[in-house]
Amino acid sequence: MNFFAPFCIPFIIGAAVMFLTLAGKWATWLWQLPHADKMRILRGLPTRHTLAAIWEVICESLLHRRIFRINPLLGYMHMSLAFGWFLLIAVGWIETVAYLGFRYVPLQAHVFFKYFSTGLAHKPVFDFLMDLLLLFVLSGVALAWFKRLRSRMLGLRRTTKHVWGDRLALSALWFIFPARLVAESTTCALYGGGSFLTGSLGEWLSAHVGLLPLMNLESAAWWFYSSCLGIFFVALPFSRYMHIFTEIPLIFLRHYGLRSGEKESSFDHFQIEACSRCGICIDPCQLQSVLNVHTVQSVYFLRDRRYGMLRRETADDCLMCGRCAERCPVGIDLNTLRLNSRDKIRNLPDERRYGYLTGLDRSSGEGKVGYFAGCMTLLTPRTLQAMERIFEAAGEEVWWADREGGVCCGRPLKLSGETDAARRMMHYNTELFRKHGITTLVTSCPICLKVFREDYDLKGVEILHHSEYILRLIRSGRICPEHAATRFTYHDPCELGRGSGIYDEPRAVIEAIGELLEPASTRENALCCGSSVANTAISDDGQLRIARSVCDELEATGAEVIVTACPLCKKALGRGTKEPVRDLAEIVAESLPRG
Amino acid sequence: MAINFGYTISKPRAINLDRNNLRRSDEILHEMPELQTCIGCGACTAVCTAGNLTEFNFRKVHTLVRRGEYQGAYEEMNKCMLCGKCRLVCPRGINTRGVVLLIKRKLGDL
Repeated sequence: MNFFAPFCIPFIIGAAVMFLTLAGKWATWLWQLPHADKMRILRGLPTRHTLAAIWEVICESLLHRRIFRINPLLGYMHMSLAFGWFLLIAVGWIETVAYLGFRYVPLQAHVFFKYFSTGLAHKPVFDFLMDLLLLFVLSGVALAWFKRLRSRMLGLRRTTKHVWGDRLALSALWFIFPARLVAESTTCALYGGGSFLTGSLGEWLSAHVGLLPLMNLESAAWWFYSSCLGIFFVALPFSRYMHIFTEIPLIFLRHYGLRSGEKESSFDHFQIEACSRCGICIDPCQLQSVLNVHTVQSVYFLRDRRYGMLRRETADDCLMCGRCAERCPVGIDLNTLRLNSRDKIRNLPDERRYGYLTGLDRSSGEGKVGYFAGCMTLLTPRTLQAMERIFEAAGEEVWWADREGGVCCGRPLKLSGETDAARRMMHYNTELFRKHGITTLVTSCPICLKVFREDYDLKGVEILHHSEYILRLIRSGRICPEHAATRFTYHDPCELGRGSGIYDEPRAVIEAIGELLEPASTRENALCCGSSVANTAISDDGQLRIARSVCDELEATGAEVIVTACPLCKKALGRGTKEPVRDLAEIVAESLPRG
Repeated sequence: MAINFGYTISKPRAINLDRNNLRRSDEILHEMPELQTCIGCGACTAVCTAGNLTEFNFRKVHTLVRRGEYQGAYEEMNKCMLCGKCRLVCPRGINTRGVVLLIKRKLGDL
């Protein structure tokens, strides 16, 4: 049996280019991984992590479960294209085996089986199955077209602005399945076969089109179908569709424990090229929704970095609030990638920097519990005074790390990209904590909290945010705040909520004092106050406008007092509202019985 | 007897703008025009974490840089911890952290 026709050539070239490029890319990226990461992969291969990864590939790469959670219609669109196409290939392969038995069949014969199988006795079950699957995929393509016109119906207010390469690949993809429908239908019209879709269309064609035009049409349709596939396959490794084949190894590597860090590494390639530019990250971005900045969102950042056209302005203009990463269906570590881009742009190892820290110690008091106010709390003295009162009421002996001025935790500098210099501050503070032998470290600043937990080596020291610490004091009865009828609303600081996963403790503390009213965007979806230290490019006006938009939501709850648990958020929100804005520590201290 | 209040003032001196090369200063002000709205109140320096620990004076450094006095400015700016308190207190809403990074970028290769 002959399995070649001239129209197969575009497909064969496309597939060859695609597989060679993919193999080259994967081999280079894996080869360039640090030795430790390679060992992680080898050690992880024979473990249950592999099974977990396979399960995640089925759930995410094929079924797109996370997108279903964002919008069911959008989820269906992605699933029908990915899972539908996968089934077309898988069932198509089974079909070939059913017809021809287990024997070598060239790739193009699997793909264009309908064309080559005209001489064989038909198996209606497969005709029906293949038509059903084609309809499944076509419904996804129809939704994709519809999304261009009405993206809101699929849960997206704004969609990605694509580069021309993506547009070319996108157009080819959109034509693949309609072209397949027409090609298979013409073959059915000439030779019979097909089911409710290709069969019916084939019957209609044979009834309305003459034999000679139909034969010409058949040839043209298969050529067109093959060309669409060829163009798509050639464009795939260089366009957004690289995500199809990158997300799968990414999931495996993630299960083996590979992560991106503050320095660029080869693993970053897997994350960057796993971005499908679906644009789900655009809507949550407050720079977009409040300030009309449309060039810096994660999708554009990753695209620019991938094609080597990343500008400093794009890397810098981001609050790193994490709202996009929270919704990213691929689970790309967006903040870390942006951080190591900033490191690449800005980091300069300078051994002489911060020489003035040597021998410095302005701490006071003595105790096993250390309190680190942080720069921002020193700028909001009412929070500091409230903490003093709470410590006093609880009878806690406290070592004050920086009440008379101290050294910054290093996170703001790290987030700007000067990661090596930030290490020097981290080293200084670690030594200071160790020198004074504390066992618990309390901080009222989530920025400090996050860096203490993630970048400091503080084994043996329990690191607590003041919300966690205060809740412990209340639960153990060491302080007894009085419950009143005051209505509070709570603003989740980014670094505390999405950054450190602390959502419940501040809420429990507020509920011990008064009534808690939740704003519209809360917990994982909470808005950023706009003054994040991560953004060194945003204007004062921009910060203020974001703060006002956040305050509008908080005021809409009807609360009397806006509460937050971050001194920087407190400062930022205070500019955006006339309502009182208080730190969690303040409302606790105020509700303590006098005496 | 002189009383030490813990403050000092800089010695008076003259800067000849005609003799200074203002190219980099112009570049800095072009990229960050808001720096021209600085009223020199010194709030940034009063709250400065680094300034509290060492002789680092943000107002002085960026004022000198604007006048074309670049000598030592990069090293001085490297004392900044970028904590961002200055930005929160600036009455003109100047992106002071951006100014620090900009001055370091423009003067880094001097």
